Amino acid sequence: MDLTELLAGGRQELRRGTVVLACLLLLRRPGYGYALLDRLRDLGFAVDANTLYPLLRRLESQGVLSSEWNTEESRPRKFYRTSPDGDRLAAELLDDWKRLDTSIRALDQGDPE
Amino acid sequence: MTALTDRYVWAVLRAVPASQRADLEPEVRALVADAIDARNGDPALSGEAAERAALTELGDPAVLAARYADSPQYLIGPRWFAEWRRLLTMLLPIVVPIVSIVVLAANLLSGAAVGAALISALGTGITVTIQMLFWFTLVFALLERFGDQELSTGTPAAWTVDALPELPDDGRLGIFEVASTVIANVLVIGGILWVQLQPPIVLDGQAFALFDPALWSFWLPYFVAVSVLEIAFAIALYMRGRWTMTFAIGNALLGAAFAVPAVWLLQNDLLFNPALVAKVTAATDGTWLGVTGVIIGVSVVAIVAWDAIDGFRKAIAASRR
Repeated sequence: MDLTELLAGGRQELRRGTVVLACLLLLRRPGYGYALLDRLRDLGFAVDANTLYPLLRRLESQGVLSSEWNTEESRPRKFYRTSPDGDRLAAELLDDWKRLDTSIRALDQGDPE
Repeated sequence: MTALTDRYVWAVLRAVPASQRADLEPEVRALVADAIDARNGDPALSGEAAERAALTELGDPAVLAARYADSPQYLIGPRWFAEWRRLLTMLLPIVVPIVSIVVLAANLLSGAAVGAALISALGTGITVTIQMLFWFTLVFALLERFGDQELSTGTPAAWTVDALPELPDDGRLGIFEVASTVIANVLVIGGILWVQLQPPIVLDGQAFALFDPALWSFWLPYFVAVSVLEIAFAIALYMRGRWTMTFAIGNALLGAAFAVPAVWLLQNDLLFNPALVAKVTAATDGTWLGVTGVIIGVSVVAIVAWDAIDGFRKAIAASRR
């Protein structure tokens, strides 16, 4: 297996869990599906539309996002927002992320032990 | 919204559970509309091209629907794959050769040419393989979808150290014990078919079936069925690896299921072909027929009883180990 293939696989594994955290953090300000997709891509999260939209719906059914139809604009849009439960989940995940980052950095700079 | 979008939305909705459709439709429509709007800002794209590009980005509606429905997108997942493979790799190499050999023997004994018998056996082997693969896969795919949710999440939570297999030891059954049971029963089945369908008994140029042909209505198929059960039993026993009390009881019951009707038929002069008996009685004084009947009956009872006792003896020995 050549390196590019390994890299693609490794990246996919690394990113899998980060999209959930990114959504929870981004949606602290309400947003709708397409805008969120656009924003995530600008930030460098390679996420497919047909993965993100079902994910939002699942997170809503799990109670970490809430949703509301906004009918004020030209067309109705479903706006998602991180719920209080979602905020707590995001805080926990963020702590884990920071710990992981510290550990990985330490490993990279030579195991202290 | 054009026909293309309507077709896309319909393709998604028809593939999700009915309960989700009403809720999902406006959502999918809004997503498509947003994606089209984002592209309408691009002067290089016509309206239709923008719509096509937007729908292409959303991808295969079947995939989107499956993700919305949150149903597995694989037939057998990690929870069941190992079990599925273990069962198939254990059963296929046992069942397929046995069935093929039974078919081969039955064909040869009923007088088929060797080539035809081989082709028939090979065909049956392939059919049995395909059937087993299909049914096992179907059962596991259903388990994957409708089995215990906790079990199907992919974590081996249900596994405990108690499930570890026993180390092979002296109590472990050899393949030869199974093979001898299988061969003996194949011979019984083949023998019944042979003496009835291709009778080797020829007196004065006339061939006689050994057993009463009237027994085809029930008892001969019954004995064949019991023998098939004996083969299945031997395979089950081999998979279990050692004798247990349950197996010993099953063994005794199967033996009785064979011996009791056989002796009863013998005792009431219902077993052998009356035409053959009449012919033999006419030719000789016939008293030896009764003696032969007694000898056969006693032998059948002795063999079955010994086999039943042997099963219990092995079960007790295995439990002490």
